[in-house]
Amino acid sequence: MTDTIELVPDASDPETYFLNMGPQHPSTHGVLRIRLHLEGERILAADPIIGYGHRAHEKMAENRDYLQFLPNSSRIDYLSGMIYNLAYCQAIEHALELEVPERAQIIRIICGELNRISSHLLWLGTFVLDLGGFTPFLYGFDDREKILDILDSITGSRLTYCYGRFGGVTMDVDDVFLRRTADFCDYFKTRLSEYHELVTGNVIYQHRTKNVGVIGTELIQDYALSGPVLRAAGVAQDVRKDEPYGGYERFDFDVPIGERGGDCFDRHTVRMEEMVQSMRIIEQALACIPEGPIMAPKAPKRFRPPAGDYYFAVESARGHFGIFITSDGSDVPVRNKLRTPSFVNVSTMPIVLPGTMLADTVAVLGSIDIVVPEIDR
Amino acid sequence: MTDFPQIFGGHWPAVLAATAAIMGFITVNALALIWLERKVSARIQRRYGPTEVGPFGLLQTLMDVVKLVGKELITPDHVHKTLYLIAPVLVFAPLLALLSLIPIDEGWVFHDYDIALVLLLAFSSLNIIGIFAAGWGSNNKYALLGAVRAVAQNISYEIPLLLAVIPIVLMTRSLSLYEIASAQGSYPFVLVQPLAALIYFIAGTAETNRAPFDIPEAESELVAGFHTEYSGMRFGVFFLAEFTHMVIICSVATILFLGGWNGPLLPGWLWFFLKVYSLILVMMWFRWTFPRLRFDQLMSLAWMILVPLALVNLLATTVLIKLL
Amino acid sequence: MIKETIVGARSLLTGMKVTFLNAFKKPVTSQYPRERIEMSEAYRNVIVLVEKDDVGSHDCIDCGMCERVCPSFCIKVEGERPEGMKRKRATRFEVDFALCSECGLCLDVCPTDTLGYSREFDQAGYGRNDFLYDLLVPYREREETVRTTLRAAEAEAAAAKKAAAAAKAAAKKAADETGEGDDS
Repeated sequence: MTDTIELVPDASDPETYFLNMGPQHPSTHGVLRIRLHLEGERILAADPIIGYGHRAHEKMAENRDYLQFLPNSSRIDYLSGMIYNLAYCQAIEHALELEVPERAQIIRIICGELNRISSHLLWLGTFVLDLGGFTPFLYGFDDREKILDILDSITGSRLTYCYGRFGGVTMDVDDVFLRRTADFCDYFKTRLSEYHELVTGNVIYQHRTKNVGVIGTELIQDYALSGPVLRAAGVAQDVRKDEPYGGYERFDFDVPIGERGGDCFDRHTVRMEEMVQSMRIIEQALACIPEGPIMAPKAPKRFRPPAGDYYFAVESARGHFGIFITSDGSDVPVRNKLRTPSFVNVSTMPIVLPGTMLADTVAVLGSIDIVVPEIDR
Repeated sequence: MTDFPQIFGGHWPAVLAATAAIMGFITVNALALIWLERKVSARIQRRYGPTEVGPFGLLQTLMDVVKLVGKELITPDHVHKTLYLIAPVLVFAPLLALLSLIPIDEGWVFHDYDIALVLLLAFSSLNIIGIFAAGWGSNNKYALLGAVRAVAQNISYEIPLLLAVIPIVLMTRSLSLYEIASAQGSYPFVLVQPLAALIYFIAGTAETNRAPFDIPEAESELVAGFHTEYSGMRFGVFFLAEFTHMVIICSVATILFLGGWNGPLLPGWLWFFLKVYSLILVMMWFRWTFPRLRFDQLMSLAWMILVPLALVNLLATTVLIKLL
Repeated sequence: MIKETIVGARSLLTGMKVTFLNAFKKPVTSQYPRERIEMSEAYRNVIVLVEKDDVGSHDCIDCGMCERVCPSFCIKVEGERPEGMKRKRATRFEVDFALCSECGLCLDVCPTDTLGYSREFDQAGYGRNDFLYDLLVPYREREETVRTTLRAAEAEAAAAKKAAAAAKAAAKKAADETGEGDDS
C-alpha cells in the first residue's frame, strides 16, 4: 500500500473544492473530522483527521495501578462498556493466571452479550437516522432501555459499568435478573421482525446501502479489519470462535457473514444476525448457569503481574479489541496499549470513499460503526 | 363566475380584507400544521410530543413563533446582501398569491381565473428562485450544495407533475380549478386516474422538499442545506413557506383528484379541509417512515420511472378519450 | 423492472403499516417529574458512611485505603486517635462527587465495611463546590458519646483480656507446681 495518501490531486482545478465534514457534524458520530476533496457531488479524496477526542487513557494507565484503571476501561468505548470492562479484568486475570469461578464466567457472558445487543441497536438507530429515517432510532432506544434496566438492576449503572473485578464480578445475580433476561429475549424476537419490515425490507434503504462502500477482501489484510466489517466481506473470523475466552467455547453459535462482497447492506445483515446469535448464547447461558461463588476464592489483594508482556483480545461490538500490557512486576503497568477496532476500521476511509457521492460518505461512515472516543482513546 | 365582489376596480378595502384573510389563514394553518407534525411524529415514535403549553400542547407553536420573532437577526458578514435578504421573500411571496386561486366550496373563491391551473403551476415554480438565491447568497459551501440540489430536484419533478395533471385537463376540457372541482360531482377523478394521482402526489412531495425527498435540507448531511445561514424569523419564513406549499400542493390534489368540496352530509368547505389535511397527514406519515433518497436516485426516480409512467398514462388517456 | 417496482412499493407500504400500528400504542415516555419510575434496587449514587450497630455510629478508622484506591482522587479523610483509645476515629471525610466515577473500589477495600451507597438522584448545584459532600454530618453530634462508649468497650475488652491472661498464667503456674510436686 502507499505510505502517503495523495490528498489534493490538483488544488488549482476550479472544478474541485474542499469540504470539511468538521468535528461538529450531526452524523460523524462524535468528533471526527474528514477533509473531503470533491468535484460536484463526487469525492476525489478523503482524509480523516482524528485526535479531537483524545483523553489520554493509556497515559492514565501508567499513573494508576491495575485496579484503579477499572473505571477507565468502560469509558474507552462507552457503547460496549461492559465488554471492555470485563475484557480488562480478563486481561489481568490472564496475566496473573487467576481462575474465575464458573458462575462468574457465565454471568460475564450474559452481560457481555446483552451489551452487544444494545450496541447494535444503537448502531441501527443512528445509521438509519443518518440516512434520514427518524423513527427506528426511537424504537431501538426503547428496546435498549429494557437492556439497560436489566443491567442496571445488578450493576447500578446504565452505560459505563465497573462491574468486573480481578477474579470475578462484584454483585451476584438473582432469579429476577434471569427471568427478566429470558423475557427480554422473547420480546426482542418479535421486535426484530418489525425492524426487518421497517428497515431491512425498505426499498429506499436497500438502494441507499446496496453496492455502497464496498470493503472487500483485498483491504482486509492490509488494514487488519475486524468485527462486522470483516465478516461482511465474507471472512468468518470472530475472536469468540478463533481464540475462545471466558467460557465461550461451551456455547454453540454461528458467525454470520455477508454474501454480497462487503457493502453497507452486508454489514447491516451481519449485525442483525449477530443480535440473533447473541440471544442464542444468552439463552444457552441462562439454561446452564451454575450455583457457586462469584469471586475467585484466592484472589490476591495486590495485583502485580510478573514482568513481561501480555496480550488479551476479545470480540467487542465493533471488532477485535486487544489489551497489551507491559509489566515490570510493580503495581503500575509500564505500558497499557489498547488496540481498538474503530481506529483500524476508520483508516480505510481514504481508500473506500473516493468515487462515491457525498451522501454515501454518511452511509459508509455509519455502517462501519465507529465510536470516535475509541479511535482517540 | 362567482358572486364575490371583483377585487379589481379600486375596491381596496376588499383587497385588504382578502389579503388579511389569506395571511390569517396561512398563519393559523402553519401553527396548526406544525403542531400536527410534532404530534404525529411523536406518536409514531412512541412519545408524547408537546403537552405542556396549552391543552394538548396547542399553544406550543405560538410560543415557538414568539421565541423566533424575538431572536436576533444575524446577517453574516460575507453574504451577498441583496440575495441573502431577498431570498425569504422570493420563496414566500408566490405562495401567498396562490392561495387566492383555490376554491373551497361552491361559490367560495377569491378570484376565479379560467387558467388557474397554469397560474398555479407557474407560481409554485417561482419559489426555486428564492431557494437558489438563499443558497448562493449565503456564501457557504453547504448552503450552495443544498441549493443546487434543490434546484435540480424541483426542476426535475416539475415534469411528472405537469404530465400527471394533463389527463385531468383533457378529461374536463378546462384549466379552471373551480370547473374541475365542480365536474367531480358524482365521482372523484382518482377512481379513473389512479396512476396520475399517485404520480402527482409523489411529485408534489418532492416539490415541497419533504422527506423522503428532503435532500436539500438533509439535516444529517449538510447541517441544514440552503437555509444554513438563516436564523430567527428569516428561518421562520422558510418554514412557513414550506408548510404553505404543502397546503397548496394538497389542495390542488384534492381539487384535481379527490373531488374538491363534493361529499355527502357535511358542508363542502368541511369536506375540502378534511381531504386536504388527510393528504397532509399522509405526507407526514411518509416523512417519519422512510429514509431519504440519495440525490442521483431521486433524479433517476423522476426521469426513469415517473416521467415514462406519466407519459404512458397520458397516452392511454388520450386514446381512451378519443374512443369514448 | 416492473416486478422490482412492485416489490419496492409493497415494502414501502409494509413500512408504513409498522409506523401506523406503532402510532396507536401507548407512548413509553414517563412524564417526569409528574410520573416517576421506580429506581432499580441496585441504583447507587454518592457514598455514605453506614451506621454500624455495635458502634452506634460510623466505623471509619481513618486507614486511608479508600483515599489511596480512588482512581479519581476524590476522597479526603483525616482522623485522630482519641485519648485512651487504640482505634482511630475519622474527623474529616469529604467526597468531591464531581470527580467520582462510581467505580465502587472504595467500598471494596474498606476494612470495616462502613462505606455504602446512597440513593440520591436529584442533585443540582450552582457551583463546583455544591458537590463537596461531608459524610460525617449525621454523626457529628453523637461523636463524643460514641467515643465514650468505645473507650469503655476497649477498656472492658482490655480488662477481660488481662484477666484471661492472668487466669491462664495462674493455671500454668498451678500446673507447673503440680508437675514439680509430681516429680519430687
